[in-house]
Amino acid sequence: MRLQLQATVNRSSSFELSVDIDCEAEALAVVGPSGCGKSTLLEVLAGVLPGKVLINGRDLSSLPLHQRKLGWVTQDSLLFPHLDVAANLAYSPRAEGIEEVAQALDLLPLLDRRVAHLSGGERRRVALGRALTSRPDLLLLDEPFAGLDAQRRRAALSLIHTVRRRFDVPVVLVSHLADEVVGLADQALRLEGGRVLATGPAHSLLRAGETHVDNHLEADVCGPEQVTVDGVELRLSLPEGTSGRVRLAIYAHDILLARALPHALSARNVLSTQVVDLTPAGGFVLVSLAVAGLVATLTPEAVAELGLAPGVEVLALLKATSIDCLGPA
Amino acid sequence: MNAVWQSLAVATVATLLALPPAVATAWVLTRTRWPGRTALHGLTLLPLVMPPVVTGYLLLLLFSPKRALGTALESAGLPVAFHWLGAVVAAGVVGFPLLVMLVSVAFRSVDVRLEQMSAALGRSPWQTFWRVTMPLAWPGVAAGTVLAFARALGEFGATIVLAGHVVGETETIPLAVHAALDVPGAEQEVLMLTVASVVLGVGAVLTYHWLMERHRRRLELDR
Repeated sequence: MRLQLQATVNRSSSFELSVDIDCEAEALAVVGPSGCGKSTLLEVLAGVLPGKVLINGRDLSSLPLHQRKLGWVTQDSLLFPHLDVAANLAYSPRAEGIEEVAQALDLLPLLDRRVAHLSGGERRRVALGRALTSRPDLLLLDEPFAGLDAQRRRAALSLIHTVRRRFDVPVVLVSHLADEVVGLADQALRLEGGRVLATGPAHSLLRAGETHVDNHLEADVCGPEQVTVDGVELRLSLPEGTSGRVRLAIYAHDILLARALPHALSARNVLSTQVVDLTPAGGFVLVSLAVAGLVATLTPEAVAELGLAPGVEVLALLKATSIDCLGPA
Repeated sequence: MNAVWQSLAVATVATLLALPPAVATAWVLTRTRWPGRTALHGLTLLPLVMPPVVTGYLLLLLFSPKRALGTALESAGLPVAFHWLGAVVAAGVVGFPLLVMLVSVAFRSVDVRLEQMSAALGRSPWQTFWRVTMPLAWPGVAAGTVLAFARALGEFGATIVLAGHVVGETETIPLAVHAALDVPGAEQEVLMLTVASVVLGVGAVLTYHWLMERHRRRLELDR
């Protein structure tokens, strides 16, 4: 599949996605830290946001959403709450092969269930199934692994492999977990700050040149989407029925630092803390924070711009989706 | 007691006639962006902020048997001014802004991303409206309709100007009360009509709350 995409989208005064992409891929992975514009890029492809999109030379830009034939799977599933699973799968006027899809995704026992009675993982499978039955020319997957523990993540990964093999549909897949998608994609695209940083074959792009620092920590579940670490509350998406003590992973690239609270913030977690230490590493600087021993990776320019030094008060901003629950501790 | 039935009939027909254009207007106001939208919003609200008597006068100018529209309707067997239909038009026009506002609230509470997903799956805006927006919003739309119906029951100012006080034809509860207050010894009748108004009002408000509760629960299904 040849994919061409040109778009300039202003999401807010402080963020602009500006891309010009032309690539040949059967499975394209879009990776990058939280807030780099991955989901925005997918929304341009889906047709929800304006931009020029060509697939195999076919210009979709002027087509209304309902004529684009794209299978869009969002992070929050967006299942129709007033319909049961079977009706969700059959929703598209192009829907066919419902039984085959339901079987491949292990949805047969769920067909007459209402959406409200599904677990998080089941919702994701139904959302993927609903996109597949609509016979899309291109499948768009937004963070298919977010909020899943390691075991479910492996299951989701093999499911997408199955889908690729069985339904032979090209995929654009967005993830902040580069390691997870490397086996799935043939081409990759790295976004940062709304710009394309690099494109190329997935294997070379996703493995090389990355300063990969993970924060591993343990936390106590204190609500359906809430944990406490070191007395600090964090909001995140947890697998259904999680309780007790859990292990979390937070990618250092996903922690944003600010000196003052920005307006209209989408990040769910704002932690007030201090810089403990700064360590240069590769092209980045590792910033150690007082709260929960977190480490953030910043560019040297960002460190200078923020005036970071040991003892400086900062706010650490974290999207709920960039905290991964790895399972019980 | 005749006035009660008259009020119920007028309010029912007025609300049913106002509902389709109110739903269409609410959809345009909540789901589209274009330069004239604010002007349309203002125009819709006009009967709410103008004195009902003035609204009635404007309607009378429009539907007067001396003018084209009034003459055309009268020759078609649908006389408006000083007839039953006048009471319906007055109640419908005065209740329209409230209906648009309440239906808009119901539409705004439906996640537009669900509608975008419906479109992405291949459903046209028309199909999306009937398959996603309405099924999710209907208890809210129904609640708004009940409240607008209750408002139509009490319409007085525009009605007396456009439809006049014709006993047995345009005499609704408020008109009957207004007339009876001038008649010595009619306290019994005033009291009865007052009780009927309170019962209808309480019934409407309770129904409204029951429907809004359903609406809230329906939208929380997916949360």
